[in-house]
Amino acid sequence: MVFNSYTFIAFFIIILILHNLPFSWKVKKINLLIASYIFYAAWNPPFILLLWLSTVVDYFVGRALFAQTNLTKKRLLLVLSLIGNLGMLCFFKYGGFLLENFVSLVNLFGVDFHPAEPNIILPAGISFYTFTTLCYTIDMYHKRSKPVKSMLDFSLFVTFFPHLVAGPIVRPPQLVPQFETPRQATTKQIIDGLLLLSLGLFMKVVLADSMLSGTADSVFSFAGPLATADTWMGVLAFSGQIFYDFAGYSTCAIGVSMCLGFVLPENFRYPYAAIGFSDFWRRWHITLSTWLRDYLYIPIGGNRKGEGRTYINLMFTMLLGGLWHGASWTFVAWGGLHGLYLWLEKIIRDKFSKPSTRPVMATAGVSLNSGQSASFIYALFTFFLITLTWVFFRAESFTQAWEMLGSMFGITSDGAALLRSIDIIKVWVIISITVIVHWWMRDASVLQLAYKIPWWCLSIVWALIVLAIILVQESGSAFIYFQF
Amino acid sequence: MSPQSLKRAAILMVILVMAFLASWELYLRSDGADHSFDDGGPLFSVQRAQVYLPQDQSTVSIGSSRIKFDLDNNTWKELTGETPVQLACVGSTPLPVLYDLADDPDFRGKLLIDVTEGLFFSERAGSAENPLKYIAYYHDLTPAQRASIILNNPLESTFVFLDKDVYSLNAMLDKLRIDSRPGVFMFPIFPRDFERVSEERQCYMAPGFVQDSNQHKTMQKNWEILGGGPTKPPISGVALDSILHLVKTSTDKIRARGGDVVFVRTPSSGLFWKREQMGYPREQYWERILQTTGCKGIHFADDPATDHYICPEFSHLTPEDAIDYTRHLIRHLRDDCGWQFTSLHSM
Repeated sequence: MVFNSYTFIAFFIIILILHNLPFSWKVKKINLLIASYIFYAAWNPPFILLLWLSTVVDYFVGRALFAQTNLTKKRLLLVLSLIGNLGMLCFFKYGGFLLENFVSLVNLFGVDFHPAEPNIILPAGISFYTFTTLCYTIDMYHKRSKPVKSMLDFSLFVTFFPHLVAGPIVRPPQLVPQFETPRQATTKQIIDGLLLLSLGLFMKVVLADSMLSGTADSVFSFAGPLATADTWMGVLAFSGQIFYDFAGYSTCAIGVSMCLGFVLPENFRYPYAAIGFSDFWRRWHITLSTWLRDYLYIPIGGNRKGEGRTYINLMFTMLLGGLWHGASWTFVAWGGLHGLYLWLEKIIRDKFSKPSTRPVMATAGVSLNSGQSASFIYALFTFFLITLTWVFFRAESFTQAWEMLGSMFGITSDGAALLRSIDIIKVWVIISITVIVHWWMRDASVLQLAYKIPWWCLSIVWALIVLAIILVQESGSAFIYFQF
Repeated sequence: MSPQSLKRAAILMVILVMAFLASWELYLRSDGADHSFDDGGPLFSVQRAQVYLPQDQSTVSIGSSRIKFDLDNNTWKELTGETPVQLACVGSTPLPVLYDLADDPDFRGKLLIDVTEGLFFSERAGSAENPLKYIAYYHDLTPAQRASIILNNPLESTFVFLDKDVYSLNAMLDKLRIDSRPGVFMFPIFPRDFERVSEERQCYMAPGFVQDSNQHKTMQKNWEILGGGPTKPPISGVALDSILHLVKTSTDKIRARGGDVVFVRTPSSGLFWKREQMGYPREQYWERILQTTGCKGIHFADDPATDHYICPEFSHLTPEDAIDYTRHLIRHLRDDCGWQFTSLHSM
């Protein structure tokens, strides 16, 4: 089920009513759990079994890990959990990719091996719930938190429908305590939640699907060289689309949870106002970047094992982060390019940054001390470099990516003009406003802003948002991040 | 902001949204707008799911826009007592839908294939794009999408502003007709009343279009922009043989399971009909389809009762003519093709 569908609206109204009836807290949690399974089964009912398997295995392994004192047995249990979780992920998400690369490799050595193409359907959100359950068992191994007391709470933690298929990726301490005591949303929470839900749908339905996806799709599916302006517009459109699609989902998820009285962690903080790439990853898909930092980068050594290892660890984390997004070498290249940017940023920062007693706003040695206009130019430059990475993220192949980059930098000439003036205007207006709004809001929050303006003004803006959602008449298309 | 103010903001927002939508709906209705369904994957899927009705209870039509305009569902239901299942796709070749039905072992029904040669034999990838998209939508339909279709239909039947082709934000922005860049194709804007889509995927012209010769001219110009009908055969030789072979394989599969297939050449007139005769000489295309497949065919030009229609924009019948044409088509299916309609009413 997707947030941007009539089915979800009906589903959510029923859930809200049920959640506000005078049932016991346990019954309400059971309602939420059943609702979450229905939400997931609305895609492909059999994949619920995978979700159950992951939940049951990790619940019991987690408890055993916490209680186990024998280090060898403890490690074995951790390996069991890793094999279970990552094995499923590898089979469903990377099975075809691994086989394809294996075949290429053996063919390279002259072995004539051509297996049948696997027909594996990717269960929605498997990367997200695998990371959710993985962090629980790893936390249990390190005794970072206590085991979840009841199977019901653990199942709800894994399956809670707002975050289930596309995050935010939650940690047990962020959500489990919220299930332990009865919660009911206040009027303010419900209205805040509905406001965020409207905003999230506006981002997804109006900006991503209606205004930007057509241009991005036309450019990325065009066979043959394109004119420089068209390629740039297509890539900029995708920069906007991927942000509004994913941030739209996260905003909806946070809003929906808030209406039910739960708080999910923030996942986006105006990333296109980032100054530098460390800053970008503190603002883009925050729950994934912190997950990778805490469960991958730091465990493999982080910056504690010398300068050289820091660079290697950084790159390794970004390459795996790229691969997490999709089973293709272009995603690895996307991660690698971000790793490279982070390397360069670190080199510059280590070389030029001077210790300062004033809080450094961002990285790369740039701070607000540099002045607003200089910082904005750095932010624009960061946005420009980030936009280049999206070419690899979206392109079907390296050939296409290089062709597009060639066109963007004028290396390829005589490309065809594809986009109409209206398409270019839409992309230009939306991306310009996006960058300006991100800069203006970079340290603020939507709800803070909403509280500051007069109530009637909030009504008018909110009404315009809702009307735009209704009038664009785009509904039901899946969120891009579901495929990850 | 206090919770009280927030509540006030939410209430005013609801009032503003309701007031705008009500005003917009009333304005559009006063301007002559009427309901029209979004002719996309969801509506196609509803029809596609009906192809399994028993053979004596339904007939499936595939093709392009002509069969959607020319076959009047109410007349068909009234005369045959059957459910017409409309799987034709506007501006598209019917071949992907034919292959899909042929590969479906459970489809054993009666099939009408509308032949608009320029689209039927099109080698342009775009002409198969929508049928392939809709077929994939149907086969990948999730329970959530099924529920959304059920919830959406009452809304589309109630509000005229939910006509996506005319009143969606993008459609309205397109109407601004901002000059395009040199070399970039601008898809023409169709008059609003040229095409309405019913819940059963039938297309029909609204009275506003039928009665307005200026709109006829606009559409004739639009067809010119979009190709204007063929003037020379775009496909021949091995490519043509290959398509015919695939068509035969598919019709054979359907007939082997007990189904039946009839090809239909729906009417066109004026410049279109002239160009179609030049571009696709009957003996090289229409006759070859029938010879290769061994199926029966009904050509509008073979019957004095159907060879005289004037299509306002050269390509599609008016609703009034569609009723007349449907009656004759049923007669031909019964008399020339041996189709049995269990509850055939007098004609």
